[in-house]
Amino acid sequence: MGFFTPWFLAGAVAVGLPIWLHLLKRHKTDPKLFPSLMFFEFRETSSVKHRRLDHLLLFALRTLLILLLALLFASPFIRRSAAASDGKKITVVAIDRSFSMRDGDRFARAKNQALQVLGNLKPGDQAQVIALAGQVQALTQVINDPGALRAAVVAVQPGDSRASFGELARYLRTLSEGQKMPLEVHLASDLQKSAMPPGFADLRLTPGTTLILHPVGGPDKNWTVENVVSPRRVFDPKRVKMQATISGFGTPAAKRTVTLRLNGRELQSKTVDVPENGRAQVEFLGLDAPYGFSKGEVRIDSADSLPGDDRYLFSTERTDPRKVLFIDDGRRPRAEVYFRAALDSSGDGGFQMETLRAEIASGSNLTSYAFVVLNDLASLPPMLDAALQHYVNGGGSVLVALGPGSAVLPRVPLLDEAIQTSSYAGREGERFLTVSDIDTGHPALRSVERFNGVKFYQAIHVTATKSRVLAKLNDQTPLVLERSIGEGKVLAFTSTFDNVLNDLPIHASWVPFVAQTALYLGGGGAEQPVNVAVDSYVELRTGDNKGAAAEVSDPDGKRVLSLEESVKARNYALDREGYYEIKTAAGRRSLIAAHADRRESDLAPIPVETLDLWKGTGSLDSTPGGGAPGTADTADKPWGLWPYILLLLLGVAVAESVVANGFLRPTAPQREEMKREAA
Amino acid sequence: MLQRFLDPTVLAGISGLDLVARTVVDGFVAGLHRSPDFGFSQEFAEYRAYTPGDDLRHVDWNVFARTERAYLKRYRGETNCQLTILLDCSRSMKYTSHTIDKLEYARFLTASMAYLAKMQRDAAGLIVFDDEVRNFVPPSTRQGQLARLLHAIEKAEAGNRTDYDKPFSHVREFLHRRGLIAVISDFWESPEQVVKTIAPLRFHGNEVVLFHVLDPEEIRPKFRDPALLEDLESGATLEVSPEYAAKEYPAKIDAHLEDIRSRAKGAGLDYFLIDTSRPLDAALREYLAIRKGRM
Repeated sequence: MGFFTPWFLAGAVAVGLPIWLHLLKRHKTDPKLFPSLMFFEFRETSSVKHRRLDHLLLFALRTLLILLLALLFASPFIRRSAAASDGKKITVVAIDRSFSMRDGDRFARAKNQALQVLGNLKPGDQAQVIALAGQVQALTQVINDPGALRAAVVAVQPGDSRASFGELARYLRTLSEGQKMPLEVHLASDLQKSAMPPGFADLRLTPGTTLILHPVGGPDKNWTVENVVSPRRVFDPKRVKMQATISGFGTPAAKRTVTLRLNGRELQSKTVDVPENGRAQVEFLGLDAPYGFSKGEVRIDSADSLPGDDRYLFSTERTDPRKVLFIDDGRRPRAEVYFRAALDSSGDGGFQMETLRAEIASGSNLTSYAFVVLNDLASLPPMLDAALQHYVNGGGSVLVALGPGSAVLPRVPLLDEAIQTSSYAGREGERFLTVSDIDTGHPALRSVERFNGVKFYQAIHVTATKSRVLAKLNDQTPLVLERSIGEGKVLAFTSTFDNVLNDLPIHASWVPFVAQTALYLGGGGAEQPVNVAVDSYVELRTGDNKGAAAEVSDPDGKRVLSLEESVKARNYALDREGYYEIKTAAGRRSLIAAHADRRESDLAPIPVETLDLWKGTGSLDSTPGGGAPGTADTADKPWGLWPYILLLLLGVAVAESVVANGFLRPTAPQREEMKREAA
Repeated sequence: MLQRFLDPTVLAGISGLDLVARTVVDGFVAGLHRSPDFGFSQEFAEYRAYTPGDDLRHVDWNVFARTERAYLKRYRGETNCQLTILLDCSRSMKYTSHTIDKLEYARFLTASMAYLAKMQRDAAGLIVFDDEVRNFVPPSTRQGQLARLLHAIEKAEAGNRTDYDKPFSHVREFLHRRGLIAVISDFWESPEQVVKTIAPLRFHGNEVVLFHVLDPEEIRPKFRDPALLEDLESGATLEVSPEYAAKEYPAKIDAHLEDIRSRAKGAGLDYFLIDTSRPLDAALREYLAIRKGRM
């Protein structure tokens, strides 16, 4: 028996506490009144000699309580053989079904190896079959039914996920701790180097785990379309520029033909020289996509043994740019220029700006605009005000920029907040204001990098009573405010866009600010990516739209969510290559292209030395190159006794409470005396 | 049957000192089979030859006219006795180990004696003291004297520590007429000091009786475990073992009681030890015996 933290045994000296309580303390309390001490004498010997322990049972329980507490903290353990289970063990057969196993006959060989292992099991031997992909899947429980085990191996199919040996090691550690038996793990895999976790410590196996590898692959040359940069939306097919990266792993220099296909139709084809074991890029100009979602792919003629990664799927959507109404009174023309430039340069936004005077805008149909910008209006015609109110209540969005013009107004248009005064800072010296507080989690301010370096010389001070302040200047003047009205929202910026009251338009954060604000106000907020790797998750709902149904159609066009899942599921894992049609609970539709993780395309195996090290982690003497199977079977393993001590401690604590209650309750004469004293 | 009403435990349940006193005295007297007017009469006692110095007012002039000899005529009870009770109300008198404390017992005793005195037409007075004279009711036979006495007894509360010196020097100033002086106290003082302080009262021809009131636990304390004792008057504390309380303390307290008794006798003081767990009749009997001696 040993102790993990023996220093805590020093806590046993606290046993003096009950001794003091039971032996000494009682003489110091409860003095008894006596008329005169004339004939009494102090006798040290008698005083101490006659101090006897009283309430012996209670004293014993309290002493035991403290000793157990000290023992618990000292964490005692006994050494038990890891093979204490009479030589029994669990055989775990792990089959790698990652994307790289599609290379040649790797997967078939892996299944054969697994079946051979199962064939060598003796009757009554316990075993489990697991599959290794993005996550470890237990195909069976720990059973001793050879038929069920073989059926599981036969049924397993290759997937498109990326293998992770870190996940495998974590699963084995959990299994070992749960079963408390030695494990014999047979891993049938191509042992790809790219499946290694970032840290070797993640591969650690529990002592008593024997890892037996069944390699089924080796270095192989492989070309792949590593990446494709494609636009999410196509507004002008002629202006689209696409870029594809072709990579070779263990390959000689070669010419490859790269083809761009859209909806099954070949659009363009190019030849590219891929250097030896290197990369090459191809650009495609123009993408003649029809309106709506399109399924695209970039394909190469690789003629290697892993054809799955010779194509890269992507999706795109052809749509018209959305209109933005910029209402201006002409006093700040530069604001329009800056805003338009930022909007145009934010490529993916797809917004087209239209500028109108306030008087003219009163008569236009606001519902055809994605959102409206009020640029420092000194007056708001009542008709326009009413139209804007109606527009916002119906779900429209408005961005209000305040400046010297609107400072004369008593209240901020639509936001309905009182305008107090202007906060000035001179241009001389360094007297300017900066942003001090900002809600970087807000979609409109997510990429503005806290407006770093932007100088504000004047801002309109607005008292926020109904609105939420998203950003403040360092004199506590609100800079960005937001208020939801009806089904729409209004965002107010308390300075101008014309590089006069601030220099924001000439800073790097200007374009992201305008782009994100435009997307937030006019595009339904941030959108999730449409070209993702297998095992990525798509978000189906946020917390706001509980109860609304979401839909997911898999690459075969089948709906994959049950009725319950469609109203409850928050996200969905894309577990195979192909195009997924997603309709979120908020009603937004998208076509997502999932492609296999390109790290799977690098078929280089793990060095033997690393594998030996990995196997060695399962034995107690984890020396490099060791890992001799069987060494862990005879090794002793510390076995913590704390659960039993804790139980005992609880029992003693309860007993102490009961006994103390009985002992320390005043006796009948004492109660009578207490009553008399009270009277 | 009536003896039951002398039990201090029973008396503690009676509210009002006058009722207590009446209960005690009536019960006590009924037990004596004697008239409550004992000692009160104008009955002729004796003639005595005149000796120089005798008060001429007491000479029987009729006998002188007939015989030309001067005789003094004396009557039994020609002068009523003056009773002065000195009641100690120091803090130590508050001690009790059972139902009633020493002060309560002393109150009952004082009230009973005062009542008895009233019945005998004696002038009764009261001095309540601890380290000072706290209350003084001059001896008198006036109407309402008993009520005044009972009121003063009722008001007597445990005060400070006992100091016999100061109050007794005052007492000597108050006492102008000879009589009977009863000192009721627990006498937690050295016997020498007690007797030295009280004995001068005897010089004026007073009969002095010391009623030493003690709780049974003060005489024979019973401790099962070592105890921390706190002095009621000084507040000092002391750890005491049960062995000491069982062996050495009784010897010491017995020696103390014997000492105080012998010194009192030596100084001509009557001494009577009272245990607060016992009925009051013994104390009253002692009082009457002494009063009878004065007749």
